[in-house]
Amino acid sequence: MPAERAGYTVTMFLVDVSPSMGKMRQVSVSGKDGTTSDTIEMTNLEWSLQYVMLKIQEMIFNGRKTDKCGVILFGSEETNNIINDENGGYEHVSEYIPIAQPNATTLAKLQALEPSTVTGDPIDALIVAIETQDRFLNKKRTWTRKIYLLTDGENPIELEDWEATAKKMNSLDIQLAVIGVDFDDDSLKEEDKSKIKRANETFYHTLVSKLDHGAVGNCDYVLQEVSRPDVREVKSTLSGTVLRIGDTDNRPKEAIEIMVKTSKCTALARPKSFKKFARRRRTAAADEEAAKDKMDVDGDEDKTTFAQLRMRSEYYLEEDKAGSVKPEGSVAGSVNGDADGADGQDKRLVKVEKEELVRGYKYGASFVPAPEDDFARLPTRKGMDICGFFPQKNFRRELAMGEVYYVWADPASPMQQVALSSIVQAMNDGEVAAIARWVKTDKGDPRMGVLWPSVFDDIDCFLWVQMPFADDVRNFPFASLEMLINKKGEVVKEHPYLPTNEQMDAMERFVDAMDLMDAGEKDEDGNRQPWFDTRLSYNPAIHRTKQALFHAAVVQDLNTHPLPPPHEELTNYFEPPRRVLKRARAAIEECKRVFNVREVPKKVARVRKDEHVRAHDEDEDMLLLDRQSNRAGPSQSQRATQSGAFTQTQKTSPTRAQKKPAVNDSDSSETEPEPDEEEEELLLNSGARKPERAAPPLPTPARSMSPDSRIDRNRAPGRIVGFTYPLRDFKKNIERGDVVTKAVEDLAFVIKEVIVRPFSPRRFDEMIECMHELRKVCLEEDEIDAWNIFVRELKHTCLETEPGNEQFWEKVRGIGRPLSFISQPEAAKAGGKSAITESEAQKFIQD
Amino acid sequence: MAPYDDWNKTEDDEEEEMQDASLFEGKHDVILFCIDCSPSMLQMREDERYEDTKTCNLMISLEASMQIMKRKVLVGPNDAVGIMLFNTTRRNESGQAGADIKKGTFVYQPIATIDAPKVMELVQLLDEARESPDMLKETFPPMTDARVPIGDVFTSCNWVMRDGAPKTATKRIFFITDEDNPHPGASGTRLITSARTTLIDLMQAGVTVEPFFISTDEKPFDPTKFYASVLLPTNITDLDDVTDDGPAPILPESISITRMEELLAQMRFHEVPKRALFSVPFTLAPGFTIGIKGYGLITEQKKGTYRYFADRGDKVEPVVSRTAYVDEDRDAEVDKTEILYGMDLGAPSGDAEDEEEAKELEVGTRTVALGSKVFYTAEDVRNFRTLGLEPGLKLLGFKDRSELAFEDNVKHSIFIYPDEMSFSGSKRTFTALLRTMIKKKKIAIVLALTRRNASPIFCAMLPQAEKVDESGWREPPGFHLIPLPFADDIRAAPVLKGFRASDELKEAAAKWINKLKVKNGSYPPDSYPNPALAYHNAQLEASAFREDFDPEAFEDLTLPKHDMMHKRAGQLMHEWKEVLLEDETANVIAAPTAGRKRKADTEEAAIDEDEIRRLHDKGQLHKLRVEDLKHFLKSKSEPVSGKKGELIQRVEDWLDAHPRV
Repeated sequence: MPAERAGYTVTMFLVDVSPSMGKMRQVSVSGKDGTTSDTIEMTNLEWSLQYVMLKIQEMIFNGRKTDKCGVILFGSEETNNIINDENGGYEHVSEYIPIAQPNATTLAKLQALEPSTVTGDPIDALIVAIETQDRFLNKKRTWTRKIYLLTDGENPIELEDWEATAKKMNSLDIQLAVIGVDFDDDSLKEEDKSKIKRANETFYHTLVSKLDHGAVGNCDYVLQEVSRPDVREVKSTLSGTVLRIGDTDNRPKEAIEIMVKTSKCTALARPKSFKKFARRRRTAAADEEAAKDKMDVDGDEDKTTFAQLRMRSEYYLEEDKAGSVKPEGSVAGSVNGDADGADGQDKRLVKVEKEELVRGYKYGASFVPAPEDDFARLPTRKGMDICGFFPQKNFRRELAMGEVYYVWADPASPMQQVALSSIVQAMNDGEVAAIARWVKTDKGDPRMGVLWPSVFDDIDCFLWVQMPFADDVRNFPFASLEMLINKKGEVVKEHPYLPTNEQMDAMERFVDAMDLMDAGEKDEDGNRQPWFDTRLSYNPAIHRTKQALFHAAVVQDLNTHPLPPPHEELTNYFEPPRRVLKRARAAIEECKRVFNVREVPKKVARVRKDEHVRAHDEDEDMLLLDRQSNRAGPSQSQRATQSGAFTQTQKTSPTRAQKKPAVNDSDSSETEPEPDEEEEELLLNSGARKPERAAPPLPTPARSMSPDSRIDRNRAPGRIVGFTYPLRDFKKNIERGDVVTKAVEDLAFVIKEVIVRPFSPRRFDEMIECMHELRKVCLEEDEIDAWNIFVRELKHTCLETEPGNEQFWEKVRGIGRPLSFISQPEAAKAGGKSAITESEAQKFIQD
Repeated sequence: MAPYDDWNKTEDDEEEEMQDASLFEGKHDVILFCIDCSPSMLQMREDERYEDTKTCNLMISLEASMQIMKRKVLVGPNDAVGIMLFNTTRRNESGQAGADIKKGTFVYQPIATIDAPKVMELVQLLDEARESPDMLKETFPPMTDARVPIGDVFTSCNWVMRDGAPKTATKRIFFITDEDNPHPGASGTRLITSARTTLIDLMQAGVTVEPFFISTDEKPFDPTKFYASVLLPTNITDLDDVTDDGPAPILPESISITRMEELLAQMRFHEVPKRALFSVPFTLAPGFTIGIKGYGLITEQKKGTYRYFADRGDKVEPVVSRTAYVDEDRDAEVDKTEILYGMDLGAPSGDAEDEEEAKELEVGTRTVALGSKVFYTAEDVRNFRTLGLEPGLKLLGFKDRSELAFEDNVKHSIFIYPDEMSFSGSKRTFTALLRTMIKKKKIAIVLALTRRNASPIFCAMLPQAEKVDESGWREPPGFHLIPLPFADDIRAAPVLKGFRASDELKEAAAKWINKLKVKNGSYPPDSYPNPALAYHNAQLEASAFREDFDPEAFEDLTLPKHDMMHKRAGQLMHEWKEVLLEDETANVIAAPTAGRKRKADTEEAAIDEDEIRRLHDKGQLHKLRVEDLKHFLKSKSEPVSGKKGELIQRVEDWLDAHPRV
């Protein structure tokens, strides 16, 4: 198909709302953590509408006035279309959304669609759509006309005169796509489908074969395709400049000047940004208004409104409590870049209006007023100057700083093309590169870079990349890895830091085995190609973000309709190719053995008792920082999982935590902070080694408050999962493999116990995390019944016993489906069984 | 070095991936120059640089400190500096900063954010010292009978730091002395122990000591006499391990033993504190993981941005800015924790029939059933960016070095060095990998998520062998992590066809290229200080010192060396031009259009340059139409904006600057 003109399109969506579209189906979505998958139930109508909505969302997103769409239903209860108005007939076809530029309301309307009780004829709908579209476009012949027909093909079609319709479509140059629910395609053949559906499918294929632009697609496939990463090919604009060699001003006879155009060769693409929203609180005025509105809009109080937020900058002066501004430069850091400085306790912020401010620069603590038009700029002249040439082999690839540019000779001038070509070819033959200084506009800041000759099939050009100035290079000192010198000044030949011959051999085999040069697909001649191609590597953040943005815009509730998993193309290169890993297995095992790398447990700085001056310790700041991030939410759980994953790596040295006196003992008993992660780790360590010493002298009073803290890791008698670190204990036991049932039972016990204890809200997040892990393990290890019994009991414990914990159940409910029963479809996927249906599972968690 | 892992912090800023530079700006850097003031440091001698002037080690040290201050103030306007002298009998007066520090030490400038008066004070002191050689000796009388115990010096440093340095800053002491054995004799051992203990105290306060030992031919500096037993490796794994019978203790990385003249150069090496951008695990294969740290060795140094100040009559104060998010309709500020993320709702459609509905659907709001979730939390958003990955590097495999093309570049590289502190055995594994990859001429392809709020990228890992030159380790051993472009970042070539040169012309070009080639050259970053940045900073500095800025005195070192170029290759370049003018292909009239040409360009044959020159000679350029003028200017890459008069002026300027060949 020739390149389409963006916009200037009218798209008609024909949606089958016949009763058969109300059939339920299982749809897989991504699980809570974004990597595993889950299933949810929805009607075929809901499911196929997702496609329509994603298409429309794309139009909204692009925001073109010339990109319009309309929606026509068939199988609708009522009849409402232009042909029926004029000539009658065409029953149960209705124009649901008139042709217009779509907006959020369009989506809301689509979401409201329900299957009807009558059936409608798709060919009738098609004819109505063609007519409606044609009348709307009237004389605009240049516009693109598209029609999407969504159906399950379960209802009879009036097969009369369809050839005429096809002819008409061809004459109007209409593109038709039939999207069928569970239609057969190359990858999928469904055996037990109804006769009528089979016949209809055949018909649709015949129909599109008669069209110039027509296709039949399977709904599942097209839905995947919308999330496929598409790279919009951007052709960069050419901007003109001059390539100079020599002094063109004073020695024009010798100096060379070539008219060139530059364009980007690589350009960093960024994910679309999210807009910020917040739930709007009801104000008294709004309540009143809502009360008034109640007359016409029912149930308005059950709604929540979210408002888009705008950014506002405010400026403040810092003052001491006493009211006087701090004297300049008295204490370092008094001039602070941001307002959230932690040391602002005895300071007062005074708001100032932007209009009262003057612009200036800081020279340390001194103020330097900016001149009216800022400081004078370096006088420079637009153009690219070659400063010299050097051999390509001396080019230091790691110094390249940014995006790469093409430099073309003026495409309109053969003279310039030939001139540039001769230089490119001469440089290419001589294997040299050039140092070139580029000023983009007059008075622009110069940038230094390297020009690299590039010879294509039909054209020669340069590539230019920016290189660092002296100011941009940091020469940090790094210790030698090969030359170790001891305190006596001698070179050390053997040391744990230096690899042995055995280790070198193992590494060599590893590098050979992990080679990617023959790990890709085969080419036409059957030779294996290298694996990994930048042209096929999609930026996962960009495409996942876009998918998420679109999805949230088209669904009514993310709890019931979570985001589908990312398209597989996005994570293509996330793991080494299987072939390679298989080939390298032995080498990997050997490396693991001979290198014997071990994770070092994190340290907490020791506090010396005899210290007369106790200087402020940076680690204390870290505690503060960490606590902040805990509040922010995600990091703690993520970190916990991460460190959990490392528990199998043996810790190398006992830490000094045991000896360590409690940090800030007095304050902490008051505030009972969440223990810092590092301390937790230490705690675990010491606990494992010297259980009897673990509890009392530790710097984490929060958890040792619980009654049986003195017992080893706080385990109830006969339990293998303790109260203190249930998740860690659990994972450890699961790794052992032979105590799964017991571990599952015990973790379930711990969760139920913990939530009814006083102060349990502090551990809500941790317990939720335990539940996620427990459910995952139950599903994987065929302990499905154990989970289902557990959640039922948990709900009971929370809601129907004393003291109970409704708050906690609210939290579980908030997470919803991922923590509900394990249903039969889910279990089947993991190769297990469950007596619970999907809808039961949905209902259980929502009630 | 940052004592904890930077990546472990969750950044507040979810919206935009943080720029590398801001990591540095966020932290203040504090340097305390701690300079020996003993008689040998004050010994006056001829200055090698200037005739008829005398200098001494102390003077050079102070001068170097002043230079570092001047540089730092531009790079990090929030950085703080102080100067302390030891082995002097001068005392700080009571009530003054430093009054209570140990005897024999003296605070010349307490730690404070660098400002103009402070730099000026030092400049004046140095000027006076140059005028009268005894001035320094009188101002800072040296202790002649004994030396201050080094332990006392460290303790004083600790107190000075404590009084002046903000908690979160990177704190360093630049320790300058020329005495390699300050405590000979019987009491030596005891003083070593006390120096060590006080140094450990300093380290625990988060302060690093960077020694600069001055060595001369007459008085070579031998660190093993005293300092080897005092100084600690900066990456100590355990303070208790640093005993004499530990497993072959290794000297600290950062000892600089230098000649006095190189002091400034050595200090500049350490000017920016070595801070890791990230510290993450590097998974070579499942279950085979080492620790690494990443350093930004190449980071674009930008001009400082202007700030807002409030004029309070008597003085000008900087203001702090704060960004708030507000619901504009309600004029209500929203707490950061309550912010949710979603799609721009867009403007309501302008179509007439929708107007009513648009009104109902308030602009900029979305209303849904109670309890429904239609927006994402900050964590969700971060998960979309990371795809659930944890920070770390993951090896995907190896490729030939030649697979890394010139154009596979989008941003600067990051240097990777092993981190023994997080995984023991990292160094040997890293070294083995590095050696093997260099030997086999391989690069590695890795998947990298460097920080929790970044997004995953693919990188090529380029090995760099360790190379030594006289001044120390010039090229450090390690890998350069080069971010590869995604398919999304790659732009197609907009021009596909062009005329090509004949062999004759190519050879003519090769001749002058050869003359302009530096045989063993490469791109030399050190030769090119950023001229625009220097120009800006020179004006800023002049303004801060209330001096005049002289643009004439400014030299742009990035300009091509025209004289040398013409001398070497001028004739050959001229010959190449003549071949070009004769070239057949070059003189084809109708250019093959490369596909993307506007109608206006092709519709009519453009008036050629000769014709325009002829009109110009006759002074009849005004006879040309605006299109013709524009067309001509465009072909010369000149701007085509403005009225006809301006266009004519521009054409004339160009023709005057480019006389007929």
